[in-house]
Amino acid sequence: MAARRPDVEEFSPPVGTSQLESPIDPGKHEVDPAIPPVEEGGPAEAVAATSLSYSQLVMRRFRRNNYGMVGLVICILIIFIAVFSGFLAPYASSTTDTRALYSPPQLIRIISPEGTLARPHVLGFAEDMDMNTFEIKFIPDPEQRANLAFFVKGDEWKLFGLTFDRHLFGTVDGQPIHLLGTDGLGRDIFSRMLHGTRITLLMGFLVMLASGIIGSIMGVSSGYFGGFYDLFVQRLVEFIKSFPDLPLYLVLVSLLPRRADAALIFIMFAGILVLLGWADVSRELRGKVMSMRGLEYVRAAEAVGAGSGRILFRHLLPNVFSHIIVWATYALPNVILLESFLSFLGVGVQAPMVSWGSMLNQVLDFQSFSAAPWMMAPVIMIVLSVLAFNAFGDGLRDAMDPYSNV
Amino acid sequence: MSDNKVATNPATNEAPLLEVNNVRVDFRIVDGTLNAVKGNSFEVRKGETLALVGESGSGKSVTARAIMRMLADNAKVGKETSIVFKGQELMKLTEAQMQEIRGNHITMIFQEPLTSLNPIYRIGDQVAEIILNHRNVSKKKAREEVIRLFKEVQIPEPEARFSQYPHQLSGGQRQRVMIAMALANEPDLLIADEPTTALDVTVQAEILTLMKRLQEKHGMAILLITHDLGVVRQTSDRVCVMRYGEIVESGTTEQIFGDPQHPYTKHLINSEPSGHPDPLNDELSVIMEGKDIRKVYKIKHGSFWNRKTVDLIAVNDVSLKVRTGETLGIVGESGSGKSTLGMSLIKLQPITAGQIEFLGKRIDPLDKRGMRPYRTDIQVVFQDPFSSLNPRMIIRQIIEEGLIVNNIGSSSAERTKLIRKALEEVQMTADVMDRFPHEFSGGQRQRIAIARALALQPKFILLDEPTSALDLSIQAQIIELLRDLRRRHDLSYIFISHDLKVVRALCHNVIVMQNGNVVETGPTEDVLVNPKTEYTQRLVDAAINIRA
Repeated sequence: MAARRPDVEEFSPPVGTSQLESPIDPGKHEVDPAIPPVEEGGPAEAVAATSLSYSQLVMRRFRRNNYGMVGLVICILIIFIAVFSGFLAPYASSTTDTRALYSPPQLIRIISPEGTLARPHVLGFAEDMDMNTFEIKFIPDPEQRANLAFFVKGDEWKLFGLTFDRHLFGTVDGQPIHLLGTDGLGRDIFSRMLHGTRITLLMGFLVMLASGIIGSIMGVSSGYFGGFYDLFVQRLVEFIKSFPDLPLYLVLVSLLPRRADAALIFIMFAGILVLLGWADVSRELRGKVMSMRGLEYVRAAEAVGAGSGRILFRHLLPNVFSHIIVWATYALPNVILLESFLSFLGVGVQAPMVSWGSMLNQVLDFQSFSAAPWMMAPVIMIVLSVLAFNAFGDGLRDAMDPYSNV
Repeated sequence: MSDNKVATNPATNEAPLLEVNNVRVDFRIVDGTLNAVKGNSFEVRKGETLALVGESGSGKSVTARAIMRMLADNAKVGKETSIVFKGQELMKLTEAQMQEIRGNHITMIFQEPLTSLNPIYRIGDQVAEIILNHRNVSKKKAREEVIRLFKEVQIPEPEARFSQYPHQLSGGQRQRVMIAMALANEPDLLIADEPTTALDVTVQAEILTLMKRLQEKHGMAILLITHDLGVVRQTSDRVCVMRYGEIVESGTTEQIFGDPQHPYTKHLINSEPSGHPDPLNDELSVIMEGKDIRKVYKIKHGSFWNRKTVDLIAVNDVSLKVRTGETLGIVGESGSGKSTLGMSLIKLQPITAGQIEFLGKRIDPLDKRGMRPYRTDIQVVFQDPFSSLNPRMIIRQIIEEGLIVNNIGSSSAERTKLIRKALEEVQMTADVMDRFPHEFSGGQRQRIAIARALALQPKFILLDEPTSALDLSIQAQIIELLRDLRRRHDLSYIFISHDLKVVRALCHNVIVMQNGNVVETGPTEDVLVNPKTEYTQRLVDAAINIRA
């Protein structure tokens, strides 16, 4: 008869009643006064003993969503890779191994060529030319055995202004190790893929943050003030949305100075994506705010004399914040895809910077694709990260849904 | 409470139409289980009306949905639950068999006629569909049947109405269509879930009379679910009082109202608004005065090239005066312009024409900045306590906001003292300050909303239906609180309401509005006892004389 958790009734009406009860009877549980009442207008009803804040509620609901949780774990992993790519990757992104051009992936072996259990090692390749087709074949060579070890010395890498030279793993005696093979210049694909995570994610977060901030300010203010300002902002949004995206990106990117510093091009490239990226979220928020503008707590704030700035930043923005977060988790994978695509075409991130897309740029022609299919490895990272961020965003959206009760 | 059976009437020996035994419904929610209905038993006999009465969250609607087997996905019905309808155990039926019962033998009408009809189909077709689903008749025959039903539920011009869409009908008429739909297959049991709650008071009475008449004619049983004791008293034969998912008392209507046994029932009955406002001294100064206030909405229509505007007059040259310490009631049906008038008076909405004077100074030409000095003196409490508090702010921030923007209290400690005082005024403890609004019930939130207004020490408060979203017992407390505050601070109120019972308990004078016009004005008792217009008479009948 008694509820298992006495506090449960306080914050969450059963779905069934909340749908049935009238607007004047919104299915919330009234806490009754002591019965019979001690005195008329006596002490107010008892306050619930414990209850959860909104963020706690969201956390709890999110944890129940397995798909979202897996997404979150992968997202955290990818961000971890981006931050510590220097440590995790055995080589720096520009290190070339001229003895191993287009070398295929190496397998980590724990069984020695003699058939006994051995410490983990990789085998180097012996090159052999097929005399009929003149195709060079790589055959694992038991002679070139390189044992693996943790925390070996290698290329220098920097983090937070400090320089390190230890790597998570490598070969004991400095022999080459290319887990995902090498490209035409002999650069380690695995290392470059990890380093590329950093630029790709940086681009993603930068564009998402900047367009999120611009979009929120434009959207919330346009929804709240309305009138001529709203008219102007919305026509601007329509103007931006009416461009054919792809040709415009290509034109704008091709206008960037080719000879300029890679970092500058990176920033300008991000700027172009922001320029065209803020429109969606601003329109979405405008609609939300327009429906919220008439709500009684906003009018109550007006009635105590609060100014527009206060209403915008203290009342409206916090209440659309969950929308912004959900938008952000959807926007990030979109930016990743767009960046990869443009870099693949060779108009995005420029060397010496590495991104997943710019790595794929080397597989543009069919010949290199058929000769070295392992160079497609960044595709796996792109697919994985897009799926993971989408799964996380989906889970977050469900958890933030105020009508969800399960 | 499973042994809480309604005493069977020895005169009727036949088996009851519906026998509900030990119904138990649990909801799976974020962290645990919510026991919404805790093992109730009752029965409905042929041709009678049984009312399930309770405040919000008491589980009455869930009980009804359990009978129809129409519960939400996260609901679980208990194993021992048995619902026997005409000798048939409903819990054991398949979904297909249940469909045969729903809409045919047991039908249901919901409280919200705006959303229970599909807006894209003609109303006639929607009713005909029910007939065609359950009976093997031709379309033409079904149409005749629908028109006969429309006549029966007194929809004017039934033939023409047949091909109209729901939006072309008023709320009351839509509820009539819903009743016609429910009657279409001559059910044995009609479940009416708050059938009149969403309707205007005057329409409520008509719908109840219609239901009563139809019940007598067809001999069907009605299970009426409501929170409104007036409705229960007028229509039902027997009553079950529910609280926290349990039936605490049941008996005939006379027994329950004449000699309630359970303290909760007594408490509910005593909570109906009562008493009168404190007498007023005649020699008082005017605090708020409105002269010929007019509010016109321009509605654009027509094509792009041939744009026309129509003026919708929401408030038509209304003048009013509120003296210090006086409570002025503004009553009327929905759409009569009472809220628009109120919001215009406190300048939360611009007016088209007229003058507003506050303490002898004109405030109608002032802009937002110019109004700032007056904002502390003029405050407002809104209708819906669920949307009037920002869900992302804690109570301290909500109340403190007015103090900060008006530069009251120099330090945080000083403001805390003021917040504490305001909370004390509304009889809440200071430990609520760090909580979020969703942790409070409707009545508590309304107290917090009042505290927010009081913190600024206003002279005048606009109360826009502050009690209509609250349960009866909470409503009585809020009314008492408002009376008490008026006495202590010499506050002046404008009280907007459609409920004349509350108005009588609180207001010295009253203005009756209809379609933007004032139809009657004067001291509350005079207006209520001797209404001069037929419109006021209807309002009074619906609210106060409903028992007669």
